[in-house]
Amino acid sequence: MRYAYYPGCASQVITKEYSTTTKKVCQILGIGLEEMKDANCCGAGLMTDYNYELSLALNARIFAQAEKMSLDIITICSTCFMVMSRANRDLKEKPELLEKINNVLKKAGLRYSGNVRVKHFLFALIEDYGLKKLKKMVKKPLKDMKVAPYYGCHILRPSYAEGFDDPEKPSSLERLIEALGADVTHNEGKTKCCGFQIVLVTQTTAVDMIGKRLKEAKDSGAQCIVSPCPLCHISLDSYQGEAEKRTHQKLGVPVLHLSQLVGLALGISANELEFSRHLVSPEAVIMRFSD
Amino acid sequence: MKIKLKISRYDPMGSSGYEPFLQAYDVNISAGTTVLDALHKIKDEQDGTLSFRRSCRSAICGSCAVKINGTPKLACKTQVIPEFEKHSTVIIESLSSLPVIKDLVVDFDAFWHKIHKIEPYLNPKEDDKDLKDKDGWWIIKKEDALKTDDASNCIACGCCYSSCNTMDADREFLGPAALTKAWRFIGDIREGKTRRLSKISDEHGIWSCSRCIECTEVCPKDVRPLTAIENLRSEAIKKGITDNAGVRHVEAMVDSVRKTGKLDEAAMTFRTLGFMRSIGMIPLGLKMELHGKMPLPSLFGTIEGIDEVKKIYDEIEKENLSLHAINREREEK
Repeated sequence: MRYAYYPGCASQVITKEYSTTTKKVCQILGIGLEEMKDANCCGAGLMTDYNYELSLALNARIFAQAEKMSLDIITICSTCFMVMSRANRDLKEKPELLEKINNVLKKAGLRYSGNVRVKHFLFALIEDYGLKKLKKMVKKPLKDMKVAPYYGCHILRPSYAEGFDDPEKPSSLERLIEALGADVTHNEGKTKCCGFQIVLVTQTTAVDMIGKRLKEAKDSGAQCIVSPCPLCHISLDSYQGEAEKRTHQKLGVPVLHLSQLVGLALGISANELEFSRHLVSPEAVIMRFSD
Repeated sequence: MKIKLKISRYDPMGSSGYEPFLQAYDVNISAGTTVLDALHKIKDEQDGTLSFRRSCRSAICGSCAVKINGTPKLACKTQVIPEFEKHSTVIIESLSSLPVIKDLVVDFDAFWHKIHKIEPYLNPKEDDKDLKDKDGWWIIKKEDALKTDDASNCIACGCCYSSCNTMDADREFLGPAALTKAWRFIGDIREGKTRRLSKISDEHGIWSCSRCIECTEVCPKDVRPLTAIENLRSEAIKKGITDNAGVRHVEAMVDSVRKTGKLDEAAMTFRTLGFMRSIGMIPLGLKMELHGKMPLPSLFGTIEGIDEVKKIYDEIEKENLSLHAINREREEK
């Protein structure tokens, strides 16, 4: 298993711990990651608001680089996954559009033939690596740890773009949590929005959404949330204090990156999993699984 | 086979008014029975007091939208057995974000009020020699018609309105249905000079969408409201309706990628909020810095192939003169 690794902009700086811990997990599992150091930003959806074709061309540059590496792309960011999947589908389905974009890329000495697939780390773990194999690698089953699965939006929708999991009744996070030995809670709002995209534009609306998501997870009896998206993590972790101010209540819900939950079960120490970078400390939940 | 349907009952206005509860009905279901068929069976054979809306039975009128196992769907287009097989239960509830009149019937006043707000009719250009032939007929090319084709297919069923995450947090948000209707006219090449685009660029308009993509996912007619909202946003930027946080947010990202190839969160925050409101973000910024999460611009760096990125920008903007003009103007400022 070998992929062109696209961490996305957020996990190169703000949520750096998500990318470094993903690399540690992949090293243990024997999943090869070749980091796309020269790749540009996918546009996070905002580029589509500005100009659809510019967004397509910038994504096609990323695909062209992966094509040169003869590898499929793996990303740990749900928004990058959604944006790249949508762009890739448009380019693959409309040959005349691909031609037009290739004429733009030509100026930069690039070409995309439409042969790359984009995967999210979660789906690569399930589809390519396999949960049976992962289960065998677990050194410290996360016994009695109550985890709220939180998908958010972009890993599931729009299903026409990639559609790995069913947006009405997704199950991949639940299956992963169970494979690691932890307990899944029934999280009402697991496919609802974290508000990240409007947190700077209409902050009160976004913070209200964040408060709802944290409250739903807490009400499900979870000790923590697991998130496959760095942007959801910023919303739910970094902005949790803002949500507490608005709802006038202590929420105190730690949010783990997907890689951190897997890493913990694989026996990586808390120190190496960089939990200290979280604003809401997960220490109380994870300490008994860490040396 | 007999399947148990659990239906939300609520009568907030009736004289015998009852509080919300789920009522179970055992219904004989055969292959192909739709949820609407089952609702009719209940009303005809078991309980005449159950209320729901319906009309055409063929996914055209948009009357029978309800939540089925949590997802807004047309009752007439959804079969019972596949729902039961997937969820091991069939729960039918009224749409979200609209008040209940009785049982599955909700009050669409807020929905229609928002549709009216965008002035849902064409305000055509007075005269356009390029578009009209000698007899005065509008000549519309296929590719122009296709631009608003998806939006024209909306049947105003309310599925997107019910699933919208921004609506759930902000009831004044115009919402996916009204905004799609706005694109239906703004994207029409016959559209004349109107203030439609400025109005929907205000608070609770196009820039409030959190891009949860529920609207596109649940739409029973494949209208893709998110795409309509993205089109409206592009159009607003092209027409220079840019004095709001939503556009500043987009422009900060567009400029950041042009300069470095990456998205610079610090610049995004500063430019979106402006100087005064950025000061309000300092406490959170310091808290993030304690955990090594302050997004300082210097941390982002520039990708090696930035020249390639710049060439892509130049080429696209050359094709798109209005964007080019806006950017020139911005740079001059």
